[in-house]
Amino acid sequence: MNIHEYQAKQILAQYGINVPAGGIAYTPTEAKRVAQKISARGPWMLKAQIQAGARQSGHFIGNSANPKGGIRQVTQIRNLSYEAAQMLNNILVTEQTGPRGKLVSKVYVEAFKQAKRLFYAGLIIDSSIPAVVLLISDVVDKDMLKIGAISQNKILRLPLVYDKPIADAQIKSILDFLSLDKSYDEGFREFLNKLRVTFINLDAQMIEINPVGIMRNKKLIALDAKISFDDNAMFRHPDILRMQDDSEEEQRYLKAQRYGFHYSELDGNIGCIVNGDGLALETIDVIRSQNYGVACALNVKGGVDKDRIAAGIKIIMTNPRVEGVLINILGGFLRCNLVAEGIIAATQEVGLNVPMVVRLEGTNKDEAKAILSESKLPIIYADNTNDAIDKLIAEMEVND
Amino acid sequence: MSILANRHTRILVQGITGIQASFHVKRSIDNGTNVVAGTSPQHLQNEHLGVPVFDNVAAAVKNMPIDASVLFVPARAVKQAVREAVEAEISLIVSIAQGVPVHDMMEIKAMLKGSKTMMIGPNTPGLITPEEARLGIFPENIHHKGCIGIISRASTLTYEGVLETNIAGLGQSTVIGIGDDMIVGTDYRELMDKFMQDDETKALVLIGKADNAYEQLAAEYYAQMPNKKPIVAFVAGETLPFGAIVGYAVDILSRGSYSTQDKKEVMRKSGMIVVDKMCQIHEALAELKLK
Repeated sequence: MNIHEYQAKQILAQYGINVPAGGIAYTPTEAKRVAQKISARGPWMLKAQIQAGARQSGHFIGNSANPKGGIRQVTQIRNLSYEAAQMLNNILVTEQTGPRGKLVSKVYVEAFKQAKRLFYAGLIIDSSIPAVVLLISDVVDKDMLKIGAISQNKILRLPLVYDKPIADAQIKSILDFLSLDKSYDEGFREFLNKLRVTFINLDAQMIEINPVGIMRNKKLIALDAKISFDDNAMFRHPDILRMQDDSEEEQRYLKAQRYGFHYSELDGNIGCIVNGDGLALETIDVIRSQNYGVACALNVKGGVDKDRIAAGIKIIMTNPRVEGVLINILGGFLRCNLVAEGIIAATQEVGLNVPMVVRLEGTNKDEAKAILSESKLPIIYADNTNDAIDKLIAEMEVND
Repeated sequence: MSILANRHTRILVQGITGIQASFHVKRSIDNGTNVVAGTSPQHLQNEHLGVPVFDNVAAAVKNMPIDASVLFVPARAVKQAVREAVEAEISLIVSIAQGVPVHDMMEIKAMLKGSKTMMIGPNTPGLITPEEARLGIFPENIHHKGCIGIISRASTLTYEGVLETNIAGLGQSTVIGIGDDMIVGTDYRELMDKFMQDDETKALVLIGKADNAYEQLAAEYYAQMPNKKPIVAFVAGETLPFGAIVGYAVDILSRGSYSTQDKKEVMRKSGMIVVDKMCQIHEALAELKLK
């Protein structure tokens, strides 16, 4: 689960981490009011709140006249509402959003902080150790992607001991890496350990501060913040769960999540329902290899009752871009007969106006087939993944 | 022969009285799995599915020898259940649960380190030696005894892998899902060792996924193994959806090499036979001329 920058900064502040003063705004007028409240004089930072990175180098769809991105520095108060209006209710495309971009429904207005120097700090779980790893780099924002792929020597990685503060030697190696002297020790130690505690206490999967600012007094400040949490641990953190974005585009994701499913949207027109991550990936791969695309994929995992399965099928069938539905189930824990009952319940409610191909294999598959054939729904049956995709594409081409 | 479990393995089921446990454990018993006891924290009954039920693992091992334990406990109870099994020195545990918090797994890995326990899972269909032992939720009706060992990190694709070995007419020695999660109890390497030493297993099928570095680790390990059997491998996830990853940390961590193409390259170099589609596995197996 991801949250917005302003929410991440609220959390960091609760853990005693220094962040610039700021406030959220939904309209240009509100943005101006927030700015005046934060400080009497500029400059201010205006930051589009979407859950993706690389905002600065991004662009807004339909605004080629003004190629500025989703993070802007504004010096004069009279320009503030104009700049905010450029962002609000527009779609921002960045390297991390995909070509469809994300709608900006709120902006974060912040006091501009003049830092002496900037660097990148990240905390993430390295599954191959496994350990929480602290990543430090001297290069910030735009260049990070390239760094990730190429210049590994420009990144310092330090595996941390799960329940212990960052070791003295590790703090020293960070200072050496950034060519800073011992006088920065305290500021770094305090900042990074607070970050570590936030990570552990809140079941985070990633915290990224890009950039951290080093101030004149040698204290550190988080100028940006991204936090993503482990969905599976959110039962321990109801307050964080309440921070979830409820904007329209996230509705289908949230609904799927509520039923314990995993939902993702791509840019094609086939809706897939599968059980299992790997099966989802394989199904998408095979569809792509036939030059077709997937509109959305729903992984019902081991979803075990018919009502939840029906709810999942409805999420797919009510996606307006879906022109064909593929149900590909290899039931172990998930019993095929429950899937069959779910299909019937869902189609009774929302109808079946597009071709549907069903492949059911595994636990209780014979019961499932009996249930479906009794229902007399116009369902096409398939024996394996490739067969199912071939049949669905053939049917969709007939409908064209 | 087979690895890790056979008809003589004495199996405990933690959380035996649950609805899902009851359904699946009964199927296992009906198929000859040697389930000898169960635990239930509520302890509403002394017996279930024809085996004694104890309050906890310690009480069970005091009463009878146990070789392996299957955890049918919910995700948030897995950490405690593993702790009980580790303290009772049970040599093999299989955790089915989906959705174990990743921070819990980091603590669990610390518990397992230096212990006498090997953990399979979580988020796995489990482990099955056809016609002998079913520890988990595998659809037993698709399995046939044979000579292919399967190790898979993609739960559902494990079944596809099984079907492929059936088409090749070879069947399975033991099938293991190591788990779909970011952190798993046991990765490919230790299991590859065991399969290489198993007389019955003639070749392996390895089914991987795009994320994390487990396949690279397996390939590096395979490259330097002294006694190799052939491995036919598949990696799912050429086309990953957008929006799965926010920020740069994941890219940095992966050294930019988590893509399926990179993985396949490393695996090919290590000597594995890498196929591009699941449905090519049976062809690759046939070419090995194992029959």
